Amino acid sequence: MSAAVEIVAAPPREAPWIARLLRAPGGAIGAALILLLLFSALFGDALVPYSPTRMAAGRPLLAPSLAHLFGTDEFGRDEFSRVLAGARLTLMVGLVAVGLSFSAGLIVAMLAVLARGWRGAAVMRLMDVLFSFTDTLIALACVAVLGASLQNAVLAVGIAAIPFYARTAHAAALVERGKPYCEAAAVAGAGPLRLALRHLLPNIMPVMIVVATMGVSTAILATAALSFLGLGAQPPMPEWGLMLAGARSYMERAPWLMLFPGLAIALTVLGFNLLGDALRDAIDPGRRGR
Amino acid sequence: MGRFIARRLGLGLLTIFVTTIAVTLLIHIVPGDPVRIMYAQSQGTTDADIAAIRHRLGLDRGVFVQYGLFVGRLAQGDLGRTVRGDQPVLPLILDRLPNTLLLAAAAMVIALVLGIGAGFVSAWREGSLVDTGLMTTAIGGVAIPQFWLGLMLMLVFGVRLAWLPVGGTGLPNLVLPALTLGLGNAAIVARMCRAAMLDTMRQEFARAARARGLPKFLVMTRHVLRPGLVPVATMMGMQFAYMMGGAIVVENIFSWNGIGRLAISAIFERDYPLIQGFILVFATSVVVVSLLIDLLQLALDPRLRRQ
Repeated sequence: MSAAVEIVAAPPREAPWIARLLRAPGGAIGAALILLLLFSALFGDALVPYSPTRMAAGRPLLAPSLAHLFGTDEFGRDEFSRVLAGARLTLMVGLVAVGLSFSAGLIVAMLAVLARGWRGAAVMRLMDVLFSFTDTLIALACVAVLGASLQNAVLAVGIAAIPFYARTAHAAALVERGKPYCEAAAVAGAGPLRLALRHLLPNIMPVMIVVATMGVSTAILATAALSFLGLGAQPPMPEWGLMLAGARSYMERAPWLMLFPGLAIALTVLGFNLLGDALRDAIDPGRRGR
Repeated sequence: MGRFIARRLGLGLLTIFVTTIAVTLLIHIVPGDPVRIMYAQSQGTTDADIAAIRHRLGLDRGVFVQYGLFVGRLAQGDLGRTVRGDQPVLPLILDRLPNTLLLAAAAMVIALVLGIGAGFVSAWREGSLVDTGLMTTAIGGVAIPQFWLGLMLMLVFGVRLAWLPVGGTGLPNLVLPALTLGLGNAAIVARMCRAAMLDTMRQEFARAARARGLPKFLVMTRHVLRPGLVPVATMMGMQFAYMMGGAIVVENIFSWNGIGRLAISAIFERDYPLIQGFILVFATSVVVVSLLIDLLQLALDPRLRRQ
């Protein structure tokens, strides 16, 4: 054998994930939309020309103009101020609901992995059953029990999504559990708790964060739908779903009232979806370009 | 194949069993006194009335006895009577169920036809402007809330153009609600279908067919389409469940006389027997239809039969 050393070019250094995320057009647009939402949620109060609940800020059902960018609603409230104020509610709704289902789902999945054997299987079968109920049915049942309010709607949507997060986390954890590093940890004497918390949890986190990012849009859509039906936010809250329900009666006279809250929901949902997609591609390069 | 069917059947039966338990417990987790809440809107209800109703609903007995009574009555097709109007619950729901199933099925057809069509064209013209356009539309389509899409369709086609009726139950009335429910799901199907077809195209049998000189379109229709549809077929059961869930919202927009509209008014009126009946019937329909779709999948995919 010759002494020639095989020279291998160093693989080009991968850009950090955040750079990859923002370089993808979807990721950049998604991040921009979320930043816009965040900005409106944080500084909306300071920016709005009128209080979102102030009646007769202008005459009722005014068309969009410079004085009222999105027009006024049936009570003469400024629609632009209301849409902007809705950003904070929507962001809170998405984060609280997902926070609930994400953490509860993770706990259930980890318990199922820890309690291997029939107990773990029973827990996951129960999750399968709940999952096949569909989240809409669970959310409606929760609202039927708790009564209609925005808090209850958020709680209902959060509870309804627990089976989804539990199943996703459980599936991811089982894959990791079968990998050599987990076996090595077990052989080295790691107990089940240590294995779950120190090894499985950190390794399923990237997948779960991607799922949760997209989950925010599902939660926002579901809560807005409940509010639209009258089972969530109650008047005079500037909640986008509720605003759409109100705008229905003035469809012919004031169609712009239907345009802006709907557009706000769609752009928010689009933002979280695009960001989630791009995050997945950035974290898992094998899937890029699909 | 036997195991596949047995597994699905087992899960379905388990789902219905859990539903009966959940529905019995439902009324007990209501904060406060459910009977007083139910009758809060009716005037002139005396304490004696309340006690009588509590006895009729079996709420004055232990939970296990209640569950036994509930299942016993269920076996005879009796789901109790509604609080408002004192009508038997089951016939009321079964009367409306076909409308909901029809709406969900129509939406499913729209989602499949548009979704598979768009996914196919997108995969066929991968990287072209058409592909980019279709997929951008699909990404947007997933983000649009159904209730907003419904209102917009109503405004454009029902009010402005006046081509279609905006409410009620009937065949021309079906178009707008079915589109509302179907379009968003078409976007999901399109994305899934495109990805699956592109995956299949990269496999050797498809590349070999191309290498033999078969035009791309023929390779796609003859060789790639069917295996490319497998993930779509696998998702169909779940898609249908989502359609049923979405139907609840859409029925309320278009005053479509299905169980979703009944359910929302029942929730508003706190009519718990009706809510219980709705949950049970909804869950059972989802279980039965998903099972049928799984069986259909066995018929479509010979590889599943061999397992």
